[in-house]
Amino acid sequence: MTTLKKSLGLRAALLSLLIFAAIVGLWQIAAQPPAASGPAVDPEYAKLVGAAAATGAKSAMPTPADIGVTIWKHLMDPFYVKGTNDKGIGIQLAYSLGRVLLGFGLAALFAVPLGFLIGMSPLVYRALDPFIQILKPVSPLAWMPLALYTIKDSAISSIFVIFICSVWPMLINTAFGVASVRREWLNVARTLEVGPFRTAFKVILPAAAPTIMTGMRISIGIAWLVIVAAEMLVGGTGIGYFVWNEWNNLSIANIVTAILLIGVVGLLLDQGLARLTKLVTYPE
Amino acid sequence: MFKDPFDPKTLLKPRCSCGGDHAPADHARLSAVPASDEQRFSRVVDAAVLRAVFPVDAQRRQFLKTVGATTAMAAISSVFPLATAREAFAQGGAPEKKDLKVGFIPITCATPIIMAHPMGFYSKQGLNVEVVKTAGWAVIRDKSLAKEYDAAHMLTPMPLAISLGIGSNPVPWTMPAVENINGQAITLAIKHKDKRNPKDWKGFRFAVPFDYSMHNYLLRYYVAEHGLDPDKDISIRSVPPAEMVANLRADNIDGYLGPDPFNQRAVFDGVGFIHVLTKELWDGHPCCAFTVSKEFATQNPNAYRALLKAIIEATAYASKQENRKEIARAIAPTNYLNQPETVLEQILTGTYADGLGAVKKDPNRIDFDPFPWNQFAIWIMTQMKRWGQLKGDVDYAKVAADVYLATDTANMMKEMGLTPPDPSKKTIVIMGKAFDPAKPNEYVESFAIKRS
Amino acid sequence: MDRPLQRPLISVEGLARRFGDSNQPAVFENIWFGIDRGEFVCLIGHSGCGKTTILNVLAGLDQPSDGAVIVDNREIDGPSLDRAVIFQGHALLPWLSVMGNIAFAVSSRWPSWDRAKVQDHARKFIELVGLKGAEAKKPSQLSGGMKQRVGIARALSIQPKMLLMDEPFSALDALTRGMLQDEVLRICADTNQTVFMITHDVDEAILLADKIVLMTNGPGAKIAEIVVNTMPRNERHRNDLHRHPQYYAIRNHLVEFLVNRSKAFDQEIADGSYDPRRLKLVKPGLAAVNPPAEVVPLRHTL
Repeated sequence: MTTLKKSLGLRAALLSLLIFAAIVGLWQIAAQPPAASGPAVDPEYAKLVGAAAATGAKSAMPTPADIGVTIWKHLMDPFYVKGTNDKGIGIQLAYSLGRVLLGFGLAALFAVPLGFLIGMSPLVYRALDPFIQILKPVSPLAWMPLALYTIKDSAISSIFVIFICSVWPMLINTAFGVASVRREWLNVARTLEVGPFRTAFKVILPAAAPTIMTGMRISIGIAWLVIVAAEMLVGGTGIGYFVWNEWNNLSIANIVTAILLIGVVGLLLDQGLARLTKLVTYPE
Repeated sequence: MFKDPFDPKTLLKPRCSCGGDHAPADHARLSAVPASDEQRFSRVVDAAVLRAVFPVDAQRRQFLKTVGATTAMAAISSVFPLATAREAFAQGGAPEKKDLKVGFIPITCATPIIMAHPMGFYSKQGLNVEVVKTAGWAVIRDKSLAKEYDAAHMLTPMPLAISLGIGSNPVPWTMPAVENINGQAITLAIKHKDKRNPKDWKGFRFAVPFDYSMHNYLLRYYVAEHGLDPDKDISIRSVPPAEMVANLRADNIDGYLGPDPFNQRAVFDGVGFIHVLTKELWDGHPCCAFTVSKEFATQNPNAYRALLKAIIEATAYASKQENRKEIARAIAPTNYLNQPETVLEQILTGTYADGLGAVKKDPNRIDFDPFPWNQFAIWIMTQMKRWGQLKGDVDYAKVAADVYLATDTANMMKEMGLTPPDPSKKTIVIMGKAFDPAKPNEYVESFAIKRS
Repeated sequence: MDRPLQRPLISVEGLARRFGDSNQPAVFENIWFGIDRGEFVCLIGHSGCGKTTILNVLAGLDQPSDGAVIVDNREIDGPSLDRAVIFQGHALLPWLSVMGNIAFAVSSRWPSWDRAKVQDHARKFIELVGLKGAEAKKPSQLSGGMKQRVGIARALSIQPKMLLMDEPFSALDALTRGMLQDEVLRICADTNQTVFMITHDVDEAILLADKIVLMTNGPGAKIAEIVVNTMPRNERHRNDLHRHPQYYAIRNHLVEFLVNRSKAFDQEIADGSYDPRRLKLVKPGLAAVNPPAEVVPLRHTL
């Protein structure tokens, strides 16, 4: 059984490697600069344009090798500061992470208690439901102009956008988790004459914790998606700004580097919360 | 306002000409808001020194009469570092705020704003300016309105739009200096290299950087002059400059009238060619501007002056051909434009590849001239009116004078030893058609293709 | 007025419950009975007659539409640590260990106790139900019988004045059920616990109960009569219960009630002899040992 499992894992890893190699190989071949086919151009002209344009072609995609070099370059010096608009990729990631964690943390502080209230009171649930239903599907970035206009601070605005996009899954999941705590567990607390606060913390919270954590996991995923877009819009700092700045320069290699790093950080955030979810999950 | 203390006929003691109950020499010390002209500062300094040397007015007059003003100054300079004092005083309208944030869009139009940072024009004025790259025109407008930026790079029509409340709440905005003139181009996709006559452009999809931009108005003007209605025969959409090349490459658009470096960048990447420079439509048209809110200018007059001075100096420096290569090198890094140096050099020097295999030379492809001609503002408003952005009647001359601060710029230029042009003498000819700023309504009416 | 001067420990007086508005027929009404200290009382009836509702009212988890429950001469107005409930589905908190579940109850009973004292106390009851060594296990790691033992330990650990059990063994297999029944019998004997239990298992009732309250079918369910289990506690053993001379008499009486009388009770009392406040105490077991002439012979239908 275990050997079978092990060999399955091994085979899956091998297959992953194979797929990776195939993608990289195909990419490398596809991204080869075309052989000079266009008309020979004036060498003076050739000096003024990119290598591809000099041969009458469009500039090519960078090869995986180019990207490897770019990633290596960034990883070797991730924390440099060469002015307001040019900071190392590590610093940019730190800015983005800081914004996400701040916005997400504030959202959790807001959504979990409110979700508790909504979950425990059918009255509050009904009263707030129309607001939640209307606000929930609004794209977080649609809040950006409103935030900029009212808050008048782009840094706080992007944190607000993170807040507003991560609040809903947590709010809804907390309310749902709290509302669906098994009646008999609440009855246990009642027959033991447990006070409302102790019931909330000792019975309802642990009972709803897996659902709440699932909401948090959804939220942080959305927050990480949104921060990149928000920073592309607002600029200044952060990995989203980095992507935008390199897009300005049409530097695909840098953009791919950023995409990979965004993916890795997103994965780590998700796995971190998955771990936490596992800690509070109970089998019945 | 201040009398020359070296004029023997002047009585120094009695009262300050500002009307305050203090001696003129004490004026600078006592008034929180000093007067605006630098020469006045030197006189204040001179007067103070002179008064210290000759406390009695009669003696001073006697002394000046005997030796003459020049000698008097020289004599005093020998014992007192007058020049240093003047300079200290000039800056001693010390900026109310030294740490300033100036927003810019990474295009060559912003060259003076950007280069002033690495080349030290700001620090020379005692300012610690942070130039902040910004993602788009709407964002730079919102961040400016939110006071996150103290001053910002905008398109010349934007301060007019903001002041008029088009596209945002009306906020008094001022434009003390134009950044660049010329420097834009119509870039077309390589596949259209044989469609050089705009009459063949029916159905083309064009991009401009912003609705309220010279780019939009020039493109509309250009196609309209060739008989195409820009709202019906072609489509024009607003696309951030950086995305223009990517969109052209992806065949989402057929061309754009955009700011550099993105015209030259399309050539560099083999994606497009330069169909026509905007210079060929209107030689000397304004494009981008240095703008501040009226509130910032009135609340921080010294910081505002210092900033404006830095910008005008940088603009003057940039207008000299021989400096252009150095500037290209200074603004190419990631921190600023984040572009290949050769692209910037081609734009700034005007020796460039056109995208069709030819090397062209036009030293005035982009030029830098800070003077905010009110006629520019009036022309822009006629186009806002022509294309239906501006509804109702507008006092063209008044709005132009309120927003385009030609007087401030002229004063500053004089102070810096530059010769400001005569604000009334500006002839505007666009594609062979003259514009009379005195008759804006008639001008709008004269077009066959228009919305209003 | 008519009430006895000396009330039993628990006195159920005129209980009724209807769902919805007052025009709806009551699930049960006019329920009167009492439980004395140390007594083990079982309530038998068909599903839907409101057995669980009566237990919930006794526990304070549900409100009656009419009537009251008097415990120790005081009307109850909510749940109390004096009345511990053993739930049908054990209702353990799945995120807590065996020890955690019991300690939660103990520290609710005695909030001032420190951790060590709470755990010591809890451990005694874990041992009482034979779960020594399983303290750290989570409910999901326990079998159904073990879970119910934890439920019993939790209820006993708060040393209540009475235990309320809602079909505690119905979800268990026969073997486990038997073992737990023995266990409950032993523990109740040891602690002289007052117990009110709902069941629909006739044998379970005969094995455990001192009195068996018979409830008719709803709606408008009533208590038909109270059967006194005349088999002394020390003669009730699960393995040879069926050999006891009174066993079949009692069993048949109960089965007869469940199969026939519970449906047709209203016709039976058409003569107006029924008084819900003075229920008949019947002793079918004694009739079997020395049949008195006046007792109607039982119909053995099963």
